[in-house]
Amino acid sequence: MNVLVTYPERCVGCRICEQWCSWKHEGRVNPTKARVRVSRVHSKYLNVPVTCMQCAKSPCIAACREGALSKDPATGAVIVDEEKCIGCRRCVRACPYGAVAIDKDKRVVLICDLCGGEPQCVAHCREGAIEYVPLAVADRGQRAAYVETVAAAMEGGSK
Amino acid sequence: MAALKGLAGQILRVDLTSGSITKEPTPEDVFAGYIGARGVGAYLLLKELKPHTDPLGPDNKLIFLTGPVEGTLAPGANKITVTFRSPLTGTYFFSLCGGHLAPEVKFAGYDGIIIEGRGDHPVYLWIDDDRVTLKDASHLWGKLTHATEDAIRAELKDEAIRVACIGPAGEKLSRFACIQSDYHREFGRGGAGAVMGSKNLKAIAVRGSGSIEVADPAALEALAEKTYSILAGNLKARARRHYGTPEMVDGTNGLGYWGTRNFSSGYFEEANKINAASMKENIFVGHISCYACPIACGKVSYIKEGPYAGTMIEGPEFESAGLLGANCGVADLAALVKAVEICDTYGLDTMSAGAVASLAMECYEKGIITSRDTGGLDLRFGNGAALVALMEKIVRREGIGDLLAEGSKRAAEKLGVPELAMQVKGQEFATYDPRGCKGMGLGYAISPKGAHHMIAPTMGAETAGDGSKRFEYKGKAALVRETQFLLAVVDSLSLCSSMRFALGLKEQIELYRAVSGLALDEAGAMLIGEKITNLERLFNQREGFDRKDDYLPPRMLKEKMPTGPSQGHLVELDPMLDEYYDLMGWDRQGRPTAEKLAALGLAHLWREVS
Ligand code: SF4
Repeated sequence: MNVLVTYPERCVGCRICEQWCSWKHEGRVNPTKARVRVSRVHSKYLNVPVTCMQCAKSPCIAACREGALSKDPATGAVIVDEEKCIGCRRCVRACPYGAVAIDKDKRVVLICDLCGGEPQCVAHCREGAIEYVPLAVADRGQRAAYVETVAAAMEGGSK
Repeated sequence: MAALKGLAGQILRVDLTSGSITKEPTPEDVFAGYIGARGVGAYLLLKELKPHTDPLGPDNKLIFLTGPVEGTLAPGANKITVTFRSPLTGTYFFSLCGGHLAPEVKFAGYDGIIIEGRGDHPVYLWIDDDRVTLKDASHLWGKLTHATEDAIRAELKDEAIRVACIGPAGEKLSRFACIQSDYHREFGRGGAGAVMGSKNLKAIAVRGSGSIEVADPAALEALAEKTYSILAGNLKARARRHYGTPEMVDGTNGLGYWGTRNFSSGYFEEANKINAASMKENIFVGHISCYACPIACGKVSYIKEGPYAGTMIEGPEFESAGLLGANCGVADLAALVKAVEICDTYGLDTMSAGAVASLAMECYEKGIITSRDTGGLDLRFGNGAALVALMEKIVRREGIGDLLAEGSKRAAEKLGVPELAMQVKGQEFATYDPRGCKGMGLGYAISPKGAHHMIAPTMGAETAGDGSKRFEYKGKAALVRETQFLLAVVDSLSLCSSMRFALGLKEQIELYRAVSGLALDEAGAMLIGEKITNLERLFNQREGFDRKDDYLPPRMLKEKMPTGPSQGHLVELDPMLDEYYDLMGWDRQGRPTAEKLAALGLAHLWREVS
């Protein structure tokens, strides 16, 4: 099973991922209907892509009292049953990443469905800021970054 | 919802005098005829502005317009234009801004925003989808641009709101004040910020949640994919991706047409200290992108040590490095970054700011102004600290800064040395020295907004191959004419001009067809480019501009390039002008002939407005 991994330090804030996400799901470009959202921290010149992380124990699913959310066993994506969703936004509040949003027209929640296994944000990010990798190795990027920091510190120290 | 696809369907009109806010249906016939943004702006300004409108009076307008591709899947679709009569040049003017403002305006449901009148106290415009209000901005007056953006986002409690605002320079009516957005993207040239300041409008804040319908989604999707892959393999695009616009420093300086020390030369010996390689090595710490851009040319710079330690900006752009750097003889990267920061936070065009600084420096070296005039600043070429201190004076209009805030032309006239201002129609040169690239000289001369480099950016074609074509005169009028039409199209579509690395006219028109559903072809697009060019000319003609205003300063015509690879060259302008006017179907005074106007279908409009 693959999961999404984001690398905010690589993100440039072009929001091409948002474009393709809404385009594929809605047939229109509309950032408020994208399941991935890029926030710019202006004062720090940073951009942070925020998307569903396919949590092992999904707080959104646990929070939903209507049984509207379930996990696709094949992809691990959270699937929204739009018939059951009442738009109460409990899942929005439960998500540790802020990756759940509400569709203002349909008044049901928007959660990444991994595009059925071919996430369009990943396919179109030119910066490699979102990857779709096997769960078993999803932590390697984080580890590499940590190792680099330590190595840099050690190098600095030995001078 | 508009019948013509790609449009939001409404234009917002805000009269600051009465406080009235109205929504009008987008004039679809005008969009069909002129594509959008620049083209529609030229048409509307000519129609709506009375002749001889005071640029800083309530009757001037700020006509913000997007193009048909914004808010769709189109790559690089992020420009919004503002059209107005310029307080710097007195001409028709439009400025383009990237960042994320344009799509937000479309998502909010508008193709454009027309601002007219003048408020009796500072306000900002808050566009929250269909809810539009004017809010008091007294507490924001005097704030720097970044602080203004931050304050508005905090006040409206949404980090994702897009803001366009002016800083103190615009409030103080500096004639080259800009309108700033997303911190470091701006409606840069021509003084749109001063017009906004004169209207007591501090900012426009936008939040949009809608979407734009396109005519042929499958075709658009295919075109977008194609654009990404072409850009990924394109060498120029890759250079820009890695280094930002400063990738152009080495090429321009290497051929000896990079304006240096107030264009006394076109070759800067210390260019390697402020070129892309040096920036990457010393100051770049990250990348930042405008909306939907597959290139991401924005580079974040940070100064680690020295007197300007802690300064962080997006930039410097190539033009800023040229005009604040080479043209002031300044090779001190940290000072350059600081100067850009001052301009961006106070809301001043870095290009004109660099140009007035270089003028002041030449005057100082020639003894025309002394340290008594400069408040003790040692304004020699190359003095980075003095450049920074001078920027502070200009943005505050302190001492000599008050004079310089009027722009090079006015300042040089006051100082009794009009010939030392490198400008056309009051608009300071961009960073290219036309003696080393003749087509750029003709482009500066005939540009409706003065010496602007993006009206007919012919440098690429002129420097192709062994680079010697740039000295030729033959064919330049035709090249300028064609480039001018092409740019009029790209600016009207509102694509970033960097997309031209991948999208020629053919692809741009395919994109337009996919979005709008209109059956425009390339010849038709060139004709629209020509019509826009003529409309712009007509506006200026109504204000009394003609051939006499299409001249370069005497330095370009009489002083041979003293050093570098363009050494010994001058610009022979008159023959190029004659040829250009002939090709355009204009008389030798540079006025569109009756036959030309009739052929373009503009005769009726011209009778109506003249
Ligand atoms: S496409 Fe990639 S770089 Fe662009 S905003 Fe999304 S995550 Fe960031």
